[in-house]
Amino acid sequence: MKIFVVVPAYNEEKTIAKVLLELLDMGFEIVVVDDGSSDNTYSIVNNIIKQKKRGILCKHLLNRGLGGALKTGIEAALIEKPDVIVTFDADGQHDPHDILNISKPIINDEADVVVGKRNFDDMPSSKKFGNTVMNLITLIFYGIKVDDSQSGLRAFNRKAAEEIVINARDYGVSSEIVGEVKKQNLRFKEVPIKTIYTDYSMTKGTNTREGLKILVKLIMNMLK
Amino acid sequence: MIELYQVIAIILGLIAILYSISRFRDGKMSIGMLLLWILIWLIIIIISLYPNDTNYLASYTGIGRGLDFVLILGILICFYLIFKMYNKIENIEEELTDLVREIAIQNKKIGIEEDENILNESDIENPEK
Repeated sequence: MKIFVVVPAYNEEKTIAKVLLELLDMGFEIVVVDDGSSDNTYSIVNNIIKQKKRGILCKHLLNRGLGGALKTGIEAALIEKPDVIVTFDADGQHDPHDILNISKPIINDEADVVVGKRNFDDMPSSKKFGNTVMNLITLIFYGIKVDDSQSGLRAFNRKAAEEIVINARDYGVSSEIVGEVKKQNLRFKEVPIKTIYTDYSMTKGTNTREGLKILVKLIMNMLK
Repeated sequence: MIELYQVIAIILGLIAILYSISRFRDGKMSIGMLLLWILIWLIIIIISLYPNDTNYLASYTGIGRGLDFVLILGILICFYLIFKMYNKIENIEEELTDLVREIAIQNKKIGIEEDENILNESDIENPEK
């Protein structure tokens, strides 16, 4: 069973080494996409894959956003013909052990796409609000109700990874993936996961401002 | 009696049309956009020459005064152009992302087991083995 973990990384030099070493030690294959970082993310990752002699590293010459990086990572992983593709945030907010939890429904052929849902009660209020708004937006624009539309921990079987079309380049990608699940009639499951909130990861991801930006974008896309 | 604003608008319109034509000749503007811009500036010039005629249009469309009609028309055209521009930029961003992705995947770094590497090299050197 080949499990490929796609890790999109933008200026994550503080956390990425720990995250990648944990993933490699647990026996997962990794695909890191450096999304045009201006810090040392690229050389840190390059040293790790050289040292461990495992892993794939793709470098975006320009910063293209989360959606662009995920698509690159998934495409690079698909070349290796994996059984499961997992997306995993580089900021250290996920527990690597959860990868097995979210992959299980795919290995057992119960689902094509699994999203790890975070417990909203553990979230700081600004994040909780942002994520609740995004769930609502996902419901309105894609007509699918999920518990956590913005989670960065997802698992796909190969068929789903091939079929899902990602167009969004920024954080809107999370909602888009959920929407694609519905559009392509894929089997979907949400599995509870642990979230590790550190001061560092607090500054990233879906907050209210990012949520509003995504909303404006979605409306513009509708008018196109 | 010609007012100052009429002179300014007519000169501005003529300069803009000449500028558009020169951009078209340099291959920097498509023929469709050239025609659209010439049309827009011609309308502005005509309106400046015969400002009172806009009153007919205004009463015809139910908008009070001629000037109001011109302003509303101008704003609508601006909206349309901004929208077109937004879509164009979006398309360019998308193409840029595809390009960046292609380069990233082509130039990917792969961590390979050292032993496998040596084995492969010797295979190449002694293919009969």
